[in-house]
Amino acid sequence: MKQLSIVDLSGAIVVVALLALAPVLLNSNYFTGVLTVCVIYAIWAASWDFMSGLTGRENFGHSLFIGAGAYTAGFLATVWYANPWYSLPTAVVVAVAFSLIVGFPTLRLRGPYFALAMLSASAIMQRLCLIFWEYSGGEEGLYGLDPLIQSPLHYYWFVLAILVAAVAILTALAQSHWGLLLRAIRGDEATCQAAGINVTFYKIASLTISAAFAGLGGALYAHYQLQVSPPLFSVVVSITVIIMVYVGGIGSIYGPALGAIMLTLLTELLRTFGEYRLWVYTLTLMLILFFLPNGLIAPLWRRLTERFR
Amino acid sequence: MSAILEVKDLSKRFGGLTATKNVSFSLESGELTGILGPNGAGKTTLFNLLTGFIAADSGSVLFEGQELRGLAPHKIVNRGVARTFQLTRPFLGMTVLENVVVACLSPRARDAHDKEARAQELLDHVGLGSKAREPVETLPYGDLRRLEIARALATQPNLLLLDEPFAGLGSSEIEPLAQLIKRLHREQKLTILLIEHKLREFMALVSRVIAIDFGEIIAIAPPAEIVRNPRVIEAYIGKTEAAHASA
Repeated sequence: MKQLSIVDLSGAIVVVALLALAPVLLNSNYFTGVLTVCVIYAIWAASWDFMSGLTGRENFGHSLFIGAGAYTAGFLATVWYANPWYSLPTAVVVAVAFSLIVGFPTLRLRGPYFALAMLSASAIMQRLCLIFWEYSGGEEGLYGLDPLIQSPLHYYWFVLAILVAAVAILTALAQSHWGLLLRAIRGDEATCQAAGINVTFYKIASLTISAAFAGLGGALYAHYQLQVSPPLFSVVVSITVIIMVYVGGIGSIYGPALGAIMLTLLTELLRTFGEYRLWVYTLTLMLILFFLPNGLIAPLWRRLTERFR
Repeated sequence: MSAILEVKDLSKRFGGLTATKNVSFSLESGELTGILGPNGAGKTTLFNLLTGFIAADSGSVLFEGQELRGLAPHKIVNRGVARTFQLTRPFLGMTVLENVVVACLSPRARDAHDKEARAQELLDHVGLGSKAREPVETLPYGDLRRLEIARALATQPNLLLLDEPFAGLGSSEIEPLAQLIKRLHREQKLTILLIEHKLREFMALVSRVIAIDFGEIIAIAPPAEIVRNPRVIEAYIGKTEAAHASA
């Protein structure tokens, strides 16, 4: 399959080095926190892109896995007082379980069932958090989680390392024969079946991989905020992730990750606009998607590096 | 010779319409058979029933002695029954080679360890070897048909079903494609069942014809006899000008 080119590799090293050094140079705890959130969104966007970007089956409820991961961390900390490091593997397992529950019945079908099922499942979980408030803390959520790493800067580096690993793993998978099959499924399911490929298996398997990284990101977020609350399950989170993927360039894994970082930073920078913030943000998004329907980052990178390949 | 495929009383209704009615026939191993019938006679539906893309209401499809009815399409392919589509459906956004690699990843093709080399071999075989690295979008219609056949062959079929391989092709493209089908049949001893509309090419290719009308088999005979069969003439040939040309 495609080999990772020197150009791509050096680009990746420069970007990761910049991200790693940025909080040291700026030396502000506030900015380190913003970057941590940026990087967690990048994990969510890259994980969404692996399943939905490659197979074309749009997941409108990625927040289901994000929330499941975060609440797993919350329950472990507040109910079982477990060592916080248990959060990460447990969150992955729980998110994968959720992906199987929703994926099995709906990914066999064609049409919009999967997108709608994911959307409803995340909305139902958000409601359940409010209904079973005695256990879930209701609107307030769960708080009092312990940080995984005390120093915010070190935690940021840890989360960044996980993002780099996640993008590396997902990119390797996307460029392997597996990724080829997922792209074939996006092309035409009937032709895939005629080629002897078990389409349902590959769709469900790619959803579990996507959910695993989303759940991991959810737990990392919980241990950054030190609390979890129902909006983590909200449609807003899912849609935000999808927008980040489209801005970054769907199907490229690294594009959505960088798109997430860019848009999260943009939201922070726009705070100076005060109440006009959402106007400016939405207008920027509309302009990007109108003029660059294939996204900004991945297509731009391809064009810039064309001559060096 | 023994029967590789035995179809018994296969039926399918769509609401009030009987698309396939008590179809029974069998194919001998290594045979090249054609299915003939006017538009809407139920030829493609029959293919879809055989390959699991549509579930039959009743009847049975025995392939190498094992029941295929009720199996998912990809499982049927992995038993050794491959098909092509009337409307070619390549995977857009991929190269010609990648289109074939996808089929080389099916469980049945697991013996081929280097998938790219195997795909290249198949493309050479169908005469598309030099176009392997090109985007699939650049292929003309005739080449897409070859690509479909290469993809089907990648799953190492024992029975190949070709759905109107000549449809939409110009006369310069038909002859080489017919040669390819003949070669596959002769050299690889592949059992082939094909649907076709173009009578002249069709009759020259097959050794036996199954004629269908309104979802029912009306005759099974060698091509020379089928064109003289009164029911076939009534159903199909009698209504077209092609009758005299081909008979």
